Amino acid sequence: MLTLKGISKSFPGVRALAGVNFDVRPGEIHGLLGENGAGKSTLIKIIAGALAPDEGEMTFADAPARWASPREAKLAGVHVVYQEFALFPQLSVAENVFLGNERRNRIGLVDHKRTRKEAGELLARLGVSLDVSAMVGSLSVADQQMVEIARALTHNVRLLILDEPTAVIAGREVALLFDRLRRLREEGVSVLFISHRLDEVFALCDRVTILKDGRLVGTHETRDVTRASLISMMVGRDLGELFPPRPKAVRARQTALRTEQIAIGERVRDVSIELCAGEIVALAGMVGSGRSDLALGLFGALPLASGAIDIGGERFTAMSPAQAIRLGVGLVTEDRKSQGLALLLDIAANITGPALAEVTRHGLVNREIEAAIATREIERYRIACRGPATPVATMSGGNQQKVIVARWARICRTVLILDEPTRGIDVGAKAEIYRIMRELAAAGVAILMITSEMTEVIGMADRVIIMREGRITGELLGHEATEEGIMHLATSGRAA
Amino acid sequence: MIAAIASRAATPLWLRHNAGVAGVIVLIGVVSVTGASVSDRFLTLANLLNVCEQTTDLALVSIGQTLTILAGGIDLSVGSLISLASCLTSGLINGNPDRVVPVATAVLLLGSFVGLLNAGLVVALRVHPLIVTLGMGAILQGVTLLYALGPVGRVPRGFSFLAYGRIADVPVGATLAVVLCGLVALLLRYLPLGRQVYALGDDANSARLVGLRRGRILMLVYGCSGFCCAATGLYLAARFGVGQPYTGVNYTLASITPVVLGGTLLSGGRGGVVGTLCGAFLISLLNNLLNFMDVSKHYQLVAQALIIILAVSIYVERRGME
Repeated sequence: MLTLKGISKSFPGVRALAGVNFDVRPGEIHGLLGENGAGKSTLIKIIAGALAPDEGEMTFADAPARWASPREAKLAGVHVVYQEFALFPQLSVAENVFLGNERRNRIGLVDHKRTRKEAGELLARLGVSLDVSAMVGSLSVADQQMVEIARALTHNVRLLILDEPTAVIAGREVALLFDRLRRLREEGVSVLFISHRLDEVFALCDRVTILKDGRLVGTHETRDVTRASLISMMVGRDLGELFPPRPKAVRARQTALRTEQIAIGERVRDVSIELCAGEIVALAGMVGSGRSDLALGLFGALPLASGAIDIGGERFTAMSPAQAIRLGVGLVTEDRKSQGLALLLDIAANITGPALAEVTRHGLVNREIEAAIATREIERYRIACRGPATPVATMSGGNQQKVIVARWARICRTVLILDEPTRGIDVGAKAEIYRIMRELAAAGVAILMITSEMTEVIGMADRVIIMREGRITGELLGHEATEEGIMHLATSGRAA
Repeated sequence: MIAAIASRAATPLWLRHNAGVAGVIVLIGVVSVTGASVSDRFLTLANLLNVCEQTTDLALVSIGQTLTILAGGIDLSVGSLISLASCLTSGLINGNPDRVVPVATAVLLLGSFVGLLNAGLVVALRVHPLIVTLGMGAILQGVTLLYALGPVGRVPRGFSFLAYGRIADVPVGATLAVVLCGLVALLLRYLPLGRQVYALGDDANSARLVGLRRGRILMLVYGCSGFCCAATGLYLAARFGVGQPYTGVNYTLASITPVVLGGTLLSGGRGGVVGTLCGAFLISLLNNLLNFMDVSKHYQLVAQALIIILAVSIYVERRGME
């Protein structure tokens, strides 16, 4: 059905894909595995026509495929359910399902009644009952995902690509989705299924392809591989090498930050947590569970609706980022490009950004002091670059992330919050970030790490706090945390 | 309160898209009550029909502007296009009644063509519509001045019917504006491309991934905007009896006020032309009230500016608070 030969793609500072070959047969469910940053998303975008490859050839249904836009891929029968939704928040559920493929009456006008009716039926077959007139922006993330899946099924699909569809849905919906995918397979449709959850891959896929650091590791029949062999192919090394050793447990720690039943916006309710100096706490939960809002709230970037935050013995009922920085609290946001870095500025300016007073002399920024600080940090964190004047936009994701971590690590004395600190970076950079986190913790900083990667939680956390729908549903000590235990609390709110 | 209605998740979509209409109607009520206390003549049918007549030009141009804003863009060439259309209308007709129909048709086609050109440039050059239409505006103003440095030509008396004509006391021009508004509203609701206007304005990246044809959508909205400008130019030529090269200059910014007042989000994706029509009426009514109160034209401008800022502050999405 689909064949890729020697596909390569580079972005400024990163080689996202290097000579990838693989194929999807007609009527098979093909799993695509790899760590974050392995190149899966880039590969999907190329198959879907949203990106053009730098090199390589692609054939689809025995014809060369050089798509100039997603529209051309769609017309050929390739449909993608993206992880970052391609939805229209201000339009209704029904309109979203049929957008670009409108239900029409005899004279070619939009038939609103039929649109609503068919959207409702389609969603019902997927096991969700939604008000099809509701605005998509008002739905939960799980329901939005189902709308997106429903949309892909309205077309005449020949290859359906699902990018981590189960990251935000659970239980019954997953089962119904899998049923649906198996039925599509019987109809001869090919499915390319991306997931982090190995159980799902074994339950659903006929073959699996593993990517690592933009390269193909291999394609195998699912029955020929084991869980352990898949993990070692994905990670390429033992977890022991990736995560720095844990220090011997130190008792009687001081509280660094405590919250009293805080509420933030509408997505965080009644959260009371405590972080101690020198410990690494993982905050686990599904995307949309309120994890990121909690982080933004603790840093003062979202207002507290109620409750109080206690930092270093002082009690606050309101917080602002400026105040948080004064108290030694830092936040490495989830989206480094839009919420963290000034991409066009150089490393030096990015590192000293929140500490401008330190590099200001006589009211002006002193570039020499700035460069001296940056040079020190570049060495300390082994940031690969041509020097402190390197524009951040030209660096790889991993090095960009190190710049942000360096920025906050330098000025954080109390608490450092990291939201998905290793998303989209290579394994080497991950190991470095983990090492930095351990160093900071050893120096007495409390670390709150938000992550969707279970290996990261299990490899790093002294304690795991699990959130679901804006509330804390459980807490596990690092040594008793298992992937299954965390998933249970994150999806059903009950311990396994 | 209106903002609260518009942002509540449970609110039905039609109400979200028309929350502006409700808000404007409340404001129209406030202005009316104030007007009634200022003068007995304010709330008479004759005065209100006058206000309708005076709304025609603003209504026409704003209807087109609503479309470009809904699609996530803006059209800053409207003022110059109106000037050009009014000059060509009176200059080419030049008092000859036989030329009215062919010239009016040609001007409407030219306006639509300029709109299509705007859309084409946005797509082909990948330049933001703000810049393309700003440049187009400057070009059109230059072309207008090459054609006429001052008042040019004249229109026959019959043509003025467009501006001053009444059928059973109802002003003709205003009626045409209402009909046009109705047509555009239906087009937005029932044409697949019309629904896609909202989608493009809501999230341009999603629109690309879903495979919507941005070029076609932009051609529709900018083409309509150009058509509306040409219609406004015809109307102004009819009203003044002559085309003038700077007659449209104030409409570029003025055309945005009714759109925003009517509840269309400046970022696109939500709103509609009915709200815009109500917004245009509200502005005329307010100007009329200020006339009754003997407030100078200059203060009327200040009042309009305050209204637009106030309106935007009411409708603004309170992100992060939701």
